[in-house]
Amino acid sequence: MNTWKYHPSPDIGTSVADRLQRFPREPGMFAYALRSIAAVLLRAWMRFYHRLRIDGRENLPKSGSYVLVCNHTSHLDTLCLLSAVALRRIHHCFPAAAADYFFTSLSRSAVSAILINALPFDRKAGGARSLELCSRLLEDEGNILVLFPEGTRTTTGATGRFRSGIGRLAAGNDLDIVPCHLDGGMRAWPKGSLWPRPHRLHLRIGRARNFRHLDTSAESVRAVCADLQRCVSRLGGGRA
Amino acid sequence: MAIDLVTSNTVFLAYAIITGALLVLAGLLLGLLRLSGRDVSSPLSTYRGWLIMIPIVLGTLLLGREATIAGVTLLAAFGFREFARATGLYEDWWLTGIVYLAIVALGAVSLMTDPRLGRAGWYGFFMALPTFVIALILLVPVLRNRAQGELQKVALAIFGFIYFGWMFMHLGFLANTANALGYLLFLVFAVEINDVAAFTFGKVFGKRKLREQVSPNKTLAGSIGAIAVSMLLPWLLWFSFPHFSPALLILTGLIVGIGGQLGDLVISYIKRDIGIKDMGATIQGHGGILDRVDSMIFVAPIFFHMVRWFNGAG
Repeated sequence: MNTWKYHPSPDIGTSVADRLQRFPREPGMFAYALRSIAAVLLRAWMRFYHRLRIDGRENLPKSGSYVLVCNHTSHLDTLCLLSAVALRRIHHCFPAAAADYFFTSLSRSAVSAILINALPFDRKAGGARSLELCSRLLEDEGNILVLFPEGTRTTTGATGRFRSGIGRLAAGNDLDIVPCHLDGGMRAWPKGSLWPRPHRLHLRIGRARNFRHLDTSAESVRAVCADLQRCVSRLGGGRA
Repeated sequence: MAIDLVTSNTVFLAYAIITGALLVLAGLLLGLLRLSGRDVSSPLSTYRGWLIMIPIVLGTLLLGREATIAGVTLLAAFGFREFARATGLYEDWWLTGIVYLAIVALGAVSLMTDPRLGRAGWYGFFMALPTFVIALILLVPVLRNRAQGELQKVALAIFGFIYFGWMFMHLGFLANTANALGYLLFLVFAVEINDVAAFTFGKVFGKRKLREQVSPNKTLAGSIGAIAVSMLLPWLLWFSFPHFSPALLILTGLIVGIGGQLGDLVISYIKRDIGIKDMGATIQGHGGILDRVDSMIFVAPIFFHMVRWFNGAG
């Protein structure tokens, strides 16, 4: 008689905290259930508390992996983008979140990993290792990455300079990048404020961009960043 | 029947004092060892684990029948989760989902009142539930029209439910008996002391291996020492069940002493067959939940049926 073959979970023997911080995470039934409930509640909250308006939903690719890039004014940006993605893809939508902020304590890690499905992004050393993680994630079919190329929340309201990460991901790759712009986030939930105010939000989703025709040189990376930054600003009605 | 706090308070207080004293003693011992320059980082971590666990367990038992049953249900569910994650069954959401629901159902029928007898805890349904759960689990491959590899998954799910769910949750059902707090406090205390005794006797006197292919660290001396301690405990703690005859005290000692070690060995060969060291890392210094409650899974149902047979409880 042949012996059974077991497939222990790869994260067996690690503590709960470690399991929440590692990526990719093992899909779990409880996490999926909680995330699904949270996603529905989040949509209701966005709709009724913030009267979120979403334009250009049809620009979201129906299949395949893609990246959403957005201006970063508050924590609401991530929540708005999560509300814009089709509910059935919510478990494959990964907002990149600064590991040094969202994965510092057990409770924060739990919310980030289970409810938000965040990808812990290591901002050190230009995020090289985390970008590697992102590109592997996008090689798989049907994953959505949410990225804020400014790297941090704006304090002035203007869209800041895009960091090179998104450029390095996109240049020379057949990868759809969807530029988005959120309006009202900074007034609804300013940096340092504990709780969001019932302020209107307006999310505009632009046409997907693809940079497969470019090479991977530093110049191309800069061009991609500049192009996407322009797209996001334009969506928000800013100057090109 | 709900746990009667007024008459049970003295029993609870006695256990709280004994456990507290043992913790202080162990703490002092660790402190002394540390001062003498020994490396105590590993036992210290285990000790910290106890410091967290003991108040939670005592508090839950003190809260009464409902809290105890809910607590055991949670432990069973998370224990099964560890088993599912260790074997790979966790990838099958249908089967694991059914087992989780079945464990919750066991908790629910433990809480319900028997509609015919009017007693707390629906004993008949508790005993009949495995029939229906096994039937449901066996149906899954038929419903999804798949055969390849299904026997292993179905077998793991049934085993996981029966052992980590149904057998372990006899502990929760014990909360329905007339002398619940005394039984539960004794069982939890004696089973853990049995574990500690096996470890200590093994460390001090152990030479010959007990079952080297199953668990290489367990020794014959440890095993005999643990049985001796466990045979003694029911006499020392007779106040937990004053209605027990001397014959029942001996039987209780045997069940805890032998059953506890068997439960430990069962988890050991499961882990060895799978090829993992610990079932998880949930409890600091102890490993997973199953690494802690392994002995109890074996002891609880046998003790329960002993009580039921001789005292007609439940």
